[in-house]
Amino acid sequence: MSLSYPKRIFLTALVMLISLLMIMAALWLPQVDREIEVMDSLFVIDITDSMNVEDVSFGNETINRLEWAKEYTRQSILSMPCGSHAGLAIFSEARSLILMTPVEVCANYHDLMQMLSQFRPTMAWARSSEVSKALYTAIRQAKEITPQPTVVFLTDGHEAPPVHETLFPKFTDTPGEVPGVIVGIGGSDLVPIPKTNEFGEIEGYWEINEVMHKDVYASSRGDAAELNDNRPRTEHLSSQKKSHMETVSRRVGFEFISSPKSPQNLIKEMQKISETRQQPVKYDLFVWLASIALILLLLVFLPYSMFTKQHE
Amino acid sequence: MMLFGLEWAFPLVLLLLPMALLPWFNNNLDKTVAWTALVPHDPLSRTISLALKVLSSVVIAALLLAVASPAIPERTVERFGEGAEIVLLLDRSRSMDDAFAVTTQAANYSVAGDNSKRRVARTYLTEFVKKRPDDRFGFVFFSTNSINLLPLTYSKEAILATIEANSLGKGLSDTNLADALMNSALMFEDQPYRGSRIVLLVSDGGQLMTDEAMELITKRYKEMNLSIYWIYLKARQEMTLEPSENDNILYTDLPERKVHEFFKGIGIPYRAFEAGSLDEFAKAMDEIDEQQYQTLIVEELVPHEPKADLFLWLALLAMLPLASSHLYSYWGVRKAHE
Repeated sequence: MSLSYPKRIFLTALVMLISLLMIMAALWLPQVDREIEVMDSLFVIDITDSMNVEDVSFGNETINRLEWAKEYTRQSILSMPCGSHAGLAIFSEARSLILMTPVEVCANYHDLMQMLSQFRPTMAWARSSEVSKALYTAIRQAKEITPQPTVVFLTDGHEAPPVHETLFPKFTDTPGEVPGVIVGIGGSDLVPIPKTNEFGEIEGYWEINEVMHKDVYASSRGDAAELNDNRPRTEHLSSQKKSHMETVSRRVGFEFISSPKSPQNLIKEMQKISETRQQPVKYDLFVWLASIALILLLLVFLPYSMFTKQHE
Repeated sequence: MMLFGLEWAFPLVLLLLPMALLPWFNNNLDKTVAWTALVPHDPLSRTISLALKVLSSVVIAALLLAVASPAIPERTVERFGEGAEIVLLLDRSRSMDDAFAVTTQAANYSVAGDNSKRRVARTYLTEFVKKRPDDRFGFVFFSTNSINLLPLTYSKEAILATIEANSLGKGLSDTNLADALMNSALMFEDQPYRGSRIVLLVSDGGQLMTDEAMELITKRYKEMNLSIYWIYLKARQEMTLEPSENDNILYTDLPERKVHEFFKGIGIPYRAFEAGSLDEFAKAMDEIDEQQYQTLIVEELVPHEPKADLFLWLALLAMLPLASSHLYSYWGVRKAHE
């Protein structure tokens, strides 16, 4: 040791005194207020038949799109800081149905998961999948909720019956008034869509002649009839309709992310567009104060002699 | 992470615990003495120096344990309360979008307005749920297929949010009463009997059920000790669930009367409230509120309880004599050098 004995004694006494004060502070210093950013969200999950297609993977497992959507929703809710709110909705036919308005995610995590686990194709009230119209109703209903949530719309983008690009259902609200993200699900290859019976069991696949391949309105309009010509008859097959969802999200002022790898992709996107609220949380400093005391004490007792050469 | 029955926020810190032995392996504070034989044999000093080492070890260990932030994990405790376990069965059919308790025909056509039956039901149910602190509520999604959307929960926030969501948007085209009644009973399956079990149906109509379904419902409801409360939102004031003397011939075969007959015949506690006005609706809710205060076993969630303070206190108690002794020796050394 290069320090003289009196100096060592002085430093030790000083360290002990500071450590003592730190421990006292850790015990009695009041909690401090810290602001964290929280947001309100509404998860709308596609429960139409095309979501039964098994062409997505989580880890090493290949699962169906609906399971993926539910698992992704679960992980996203889990990634939100306490104080954030999340609500749940499903969509089928041409509308979204809100099943739980946003609730605080930590206190109600169990109930949110209970409800999420119930989402299945048998809840559908009709056998069609009009993605854009359903999205519009989700936006309209989100406006009725205070505080207004950011909409997260999880879908494969499969429109059944199909819609022609030029004959889109009109979006009459202001784009971007309700912020939101469309999360695209599904693989890029066209695969058959399982058909479910009333008990939700898979019974064969949708056949080529069981679905509409053309926009109904285009067929009935003389000027647009040619739009339907020469279209491939592939509507009984499904893949992730990326370009369609991009178009739709532009129309309503949403962001679009395709097959995100982690919930953070969604959370980051949401933080960019959502109106976040500041939520004060009580924060206890004791860990920091006790750590300082601990490090100081260890400095006194570290075996320095093992590292310094003895010059005797 | 759980260790020793406690939940540790930073369990890896515990790996540093051997550091508590450091005071025993160094002589940073020893004074170099020319000839040890000169040092007098002093048992008191030896004891004190030993005690100081023990104290140092205790402080280091206690601080490490405190920094690892132990807590008693969240747990449930059972206590006796007063109330009931209630499954809500709210009709979501299109007709529930019609205005409630209107006298003119024209007003009937304001679809999904603020005074729609579904919104009125929302208002009163919300009030009801808020009044009942100990009750556990469940919610059945009532459509073509019914689904036990929200299994019985104590969270008022969750059930209120589900009731709220039910009032949004428009009604569904198809509802299946028999299926919904069956699923409501399933909510109680595999659950210990905690107290009064109620299925609270709010609807503006009835549905004919198959004999098979009725048989199954009868069996289940009896087995599971359920009671049915039906708040029937009347469309026409003069129509009653019980047949009366001067009955309109059109009413005799209405499905709601058939359902009423069926409920009466199951042989379980059953009560129908016919609400033709907001006032009657409120009264029905109040009556259910008053009746349902039997003893109920309530599971209460005790939030997680931080326990780091215990270790900080231990560190403080050990630190006080340790710091004093070091301050004293500093004072002594300074005195000696003067």
